[in-house]
Amino acid sequence: MSVKTTSLTDGYIELKFGPRWKYIACVRGFIQNFLAISIVDQSKADKIAMAASELLENAVKYASRDDTHIVIKVSPATEQIKILVVNTAKEESIQTLLSIYKKISDGDPLQVYVTQMKEAALRSDGKSHLGLARIRYETGGDLNVAVNNNEVQVSIAIG
Amino acid sequence: MNRLNIENLHEDRMIVEVTDDDSKITVTFKGDIDMEDPGMVLDPFFSTLHERLLAQKIKEVNTDFKELNFLNSSGIKAVAKWIMKLGEVSEAERYTIHIQYNRDITWQVTSLPTLNFLVPGVVKVE
Repeated sequence: MSVKTTSLTDGYIELKFGPRWKYIACVRGFIQNFLAISIVDQSKADKIAMAASELLENAVKYASRDDTHIVIKVSPATEQIKILVVNTAKEESIQTLLSIYKKISDGDPLQVYVTQMKEAALRSDGKSHLGLARIRYETGGDLNVAVNNNEVQVSIAIG
Repeated sequence: MNRLNIENLHEDRMIVEVTDDDSKITVTFKGDIDMEDPGMVLDPFFSTLHERLLAQKIKEVNTDFKELNFLNSSGIKAVAKWIMKLGEVSEAERYTIHIQYNRDITWQVTSLPTLNFLVPGVVKVE
């Protein structure tokens, strides 16, 4: 895992790592501590760390190459934070992601989250398909998914 | 050992303890639930808990999340799955799940109260 950290005035941190599950908690802790002491209040730092962790879980689960990375951009004046997670995935995984995104990106975030939770409880395949709905509800941010060839970019902007 | 005869769980960085406390059963979650598929251990645990609560006609169970630092969405799925089991039994057989949470942990404040909406009347978030 490599860590590239710039000063706060540069407005971003970036972490790049091979898709290993055990690194996610480490990245989550790093982000949480960095934001808590540097940029925002504890509650906001917690939400960002949770969102980053959920996005990285998806990225690591479905990564087809060793190129998963996360960028956290900060606008100090407005304290808006944007998280961007990028990875390469197989077509089948991309289609599943797009289908979940389409399903959860409209409507009341709480209702959507509860609906996804009920559906997740009925799944028996070890998957939850709950992360994006959780992020949208818990952070109140703007979620976006973009695909370019097999590269998947999932971002969330939190004001 | 508790009266349900259920063993505590200690898997990865997750600890789940079952205790008898003031005549109530308490399930305490500690650490982090952030494994790739926590359902592998939590689903059988919750199934056993559910069956034994019903068998012993216990009407209330406390769940204490206050020392749980993180719960990923797969872990939320496992908890939701447990609560949804109560939708499959008659109202007379049901027990109430009391959820105690830590107001200083942001995800607990936002996510745990949503469990109220899964099966009306079976969860009380405190």
